[in-house]
Amino acid sequence: MNIHTYEKLWLVAAMLLIVTFIATITYGSVGLGIAMVGDQQPTVEPTELSDDERFGDPRVEQVGENEYEAYVVAQTFRYQPDPIEVPEDSQVTFYVTARDVIHSFSIVGTNVNTMAIPGEIAEMTVEFDEVGEYGVVCNEYCGPGHHDMEGELHVVPAEEFDLVDHSVDTPTEVEPDDEAEFTVEVRNRQLDDLETTVVLEVGDETFEEELVVAGGETAETTIVVDTADLGEGDHDWTITVDEFEEAGTLSVVDPDAEDDDGGDDDE
Amino acid sequence: MSQATEEPVSEPRAEGIREIGHDEFDPVGTLALIGLYFLILIGLWFFMYFVEFLGNDPTVVGTAVVTLA
Amino acid sequence: MSNAYIDEFPAEARIVRAAFYSSFLALALGGVFGIIQTLHRTDFLRFMDSVDYYTVLTAHGVFLVISFTIFFLVGIFTWAITTSLDRGLEDIRFSWGWYSLMAVGITLTGVAILAGFTDATDISASVLFTFYAPLQAHPMFYLGLVLFVVGTWLAGADWFRSWLAWKAENPDERIPLPTFMVLTTMLMWYIATLGVAVAILAFLLPWSLGWIDTVNPLLTRTLFWFFGHPVVYFWLMPAYMMWYVMLPKISGGKLFSDPLARVVFVLFLVLSVPTGIHHQYLDPGIAEGFKFIAMTNTMFLLLPSLLTAFTVVASMEHGARQRGGEGYLGWLKALPWRDPVFTGMALAGLMFAAAGFSGMINAGMNINYLVHNTFWVVGHFHLTVGTAVALTFMAVTYWFLPQVTGRALWNRSVALGQVVLWFIGMTFMSNAMHRGGLLGIPRRTAEPQYEGFEFEAAVGSVAELDAQIALGGVLLTLSLVLFFANVIGTALNGKSDSLPANGYAETLSGPEDAPLVLDNLKLWTAIAVVLVIFAYTFPLLSIIERGGLFGPEVIPFPLTLESVTTVGIALETAATETVDGATLALVGVIR
Repeated sequence: MNIHTYEKLWLVAAMLLIVTFIATITYGSVGLGIAMVGDQQPTVEPTELSDDERFGDPRVEQVGENEYEAYVVAQTFRYQPDPIEVPEDSQVTFYVTARDVIHSFSIVGTNVNTMAIPGEIAEMTVEFDEVGEYGVVCNEYCGPGHHDMEGELHVVPAEEFDLVDHSVDTPTEVEPDDEAEFTVEVRNRQLDDLETTVVLEVGDETFEEELVVAGGETAETTIVVDTADLGEGDHDWTITVDEFEEAGTLSVVDPDAEDDDGGDDDE
Repeated sequence: MSQATEEPVSEPRAEGIREIGHDEFDPVGTLALIGLYFLILIGLWFFMYFVEFLGNDPTVVGTAVVTLA
Repeated sequence: MSNAYIDEFPAEARIVRAAFYSSFLALALGGVFGIIQTLHRTDFLRFMDSVDYYTVLTAHGVFLVISFTIFFLVGIFTWAITTSLDRGLEDIRFSWGWYSLMAVGITLTGVAILAGFTDATDISASVLFTFYAPLQAHPMFYLGLVLFVVGTWLAGADWFRSWLAWKAENPDERIPLPTFMVLTTMLMWYIATLGVAVAILAFLLPWSLGWIDTVNPLLTRTLFWFFGHPVVYFWLMPAYMMWYVMLPKISGGKLFSDPLARVVFVLFLVLSVPTGIHHQYLDPGIAEGFKFIAMTNTMFLLLPSLLTAFTVVASMEHGARQRGGEGYLGWLKALPWRDPVFTGMALAGLMFAAAGFSGMINAGMNINYLVHNTFWVVGHFHLTVGTAVALTFMAVTYWFLPQVTGRALWNRSVALGQVVLWFIGMTFMSNAMHRGGLLGIPRRTAEPQYEGFEFEAAVGSVAELDAQIALGGVLLTLSLVLFFANVIGTALNGKSDSLPANGYAETLSGPEDAPLVLDNLKLWTAIAVVLVIFAYTFPLLSIIERGGLFGPEVIPFPLTLESVTTVGIALETAATETVDGATLALVGVIR
């Protein structure tokens, strides 16, 4: 077979090109540590995500000093959680799965991009060094509302970042002589234990309760107020837990004096 | 190959037509063009990888390297 | 009396003509849907709901990359076999059989897609060209595809039959180059279509008929890409064939090297299939190692294309120098730029050089994070199948149409304008798509911007990119109008006696220089099969082991509007326990 010298030359150049390309990619993988989405994660039942420990409650969780995990569910036509909030200077590992059809989870303007396939979990570790807001798009066609499928990722300053959720359960109306129970639930998605104080101000009285919530756990405390001390009428209350504050009004009403409202009484 | 020896197709040949056989033909023009293409490919490849791609941070990293950083 | 193809092979010319006209019909439909979606997506002209965008997109994709390309290529393959073996097809009724099967198949598929526009039936198939489960189309969509592909299998059998009959009479001759190209391409196609055949016959069709309840989405997706990458070479090989056997002749020269042309086609046979996983670089459930292997194979697949670039350009240069061209680059001026057949193919080749570059980026494993499923990819394949293939096909049509109709081309100047217009239109469109992709703009979406954030351009603006795309789309549509004017004008022309003779390029270095082993099709097929087994066995086993043959329980997502309700309800039930009120509100919105 006779091949012209120039073409032989080109053959060599072409091989060089191919080898250069493969070498560059390999450098990216080995030298820079860019990892591909792979098969590290076990499979999951897409219809049973509700019961899954990680995806039952899509969230961001702290797992190390600056390390976080985000469990993300993609479904027609939204993401959970949305927005996803992580602190600056953090290393976040995303675990992404799909509830129904194939989607993607792609953070616009970055190299964070993965398919979300029902039954499979994509794992990606990403470092967020700077504060910023990113859009998240689904770049795999997933049905008629595909173009509405978007989310947001907020990288917030460390001091504004918060992995503690509070919820408050309070009565709105009690009878005189009954006790009013103020329940505060604190969920700590940080790694470390959280020591905090729950402060309840109601009427002229102030109650304080110490609360310790272990890392990754939820704890609640209930403050019982004897309404006799408050007297009949409306009483403004405020619950404060660190930065968290919630306020409301408690009515102490005698049902005999006000017949028509008696049906609401849960007790 | 019987069909291949038919008369040439397309338009009437240009003036000053000549037959160039296998041994007399050195595709220098092709070499020049393809050399240029090679340089463009190499240049654009590095631009795309190191500027467009690596400049598009953040990027997915492996945990092993991160602990070093 | 001329020596055109129709004079030598009148019966075969009828088949080729039928294939071409089917192909052009698909091109017209695909073009109409193309301009509709271009103007919708760039928000220049909208007359439908964004929900219907995906039906338009499915029609655009399937009509152009399945029916337009493949009907055209069965036409030129039939021409190539009969011309280069110098014998008619063995049994013309069989040939009409495969043509009819393809036509029936694509009609079923097309009807299933177009039915998505009306609420009168619950038939629809807005699943795009890739039909990823759990998106589910009407069974007619899958059935049509099966018939169409079986039609191409029988067409291949027809061509092999011709070759075997010829070989019996010419036992010591080398396989003529065009026949060699057809046979290697078809062997590649047989291997490649196994993937999609299994995906449809074993999983998607029974699933859409309700015979099985679930599928494994990653498995059917992987089987799709087993076929989905080599199918691009199935489109491309006929264009390559034209560049090898027609372009040198039209340039006034000879093919630079027959042996290297054979090497190139053997490499495509061997390497086309074990690369499909490079479409799945970002898929969870496939190990990084398998992705790396796919990348290596893909990168080596650059080799035959790079070799083609040299051989084809050298053949053109040979033509130019025979026509009196001089100098390092001055010879370019001596090429027949006024000939639309030449200019169309040359511009298509030039675009393919650019497409080669974006393809190299797509082939890279980790850089895929940057471009995967972005507009960049759309820009890439509008250069490859949308220009390298489509423009080559349109350009050679100007040569083939007189050959198979016996009528002179209606207007050469219009033809020249047409190919140039396509080139310009696609330059605008694909450049803007590539740039948009680098900004993170996704492919396959009806909207140019999203609500919660904006795509931002570092240079220029997104509005400018949209304008370029819309302008490109309009120019391409104009180009198509000119093309069809010529097709129709030619069909209405009277019979001509002065057509050029049928034939193809001679060679500078002929088959006598090619080692005999190159013609050993069994050997190359065996190697191709081994490589496929090597590249796919472990990934497929791993996918099945992880997710099961029929996958986890998934909710079928049939794409009719009414059925979205069903999915909404199903989702609601599945999600009620966990999902907060917002989800419910959203499901409510969908309903």
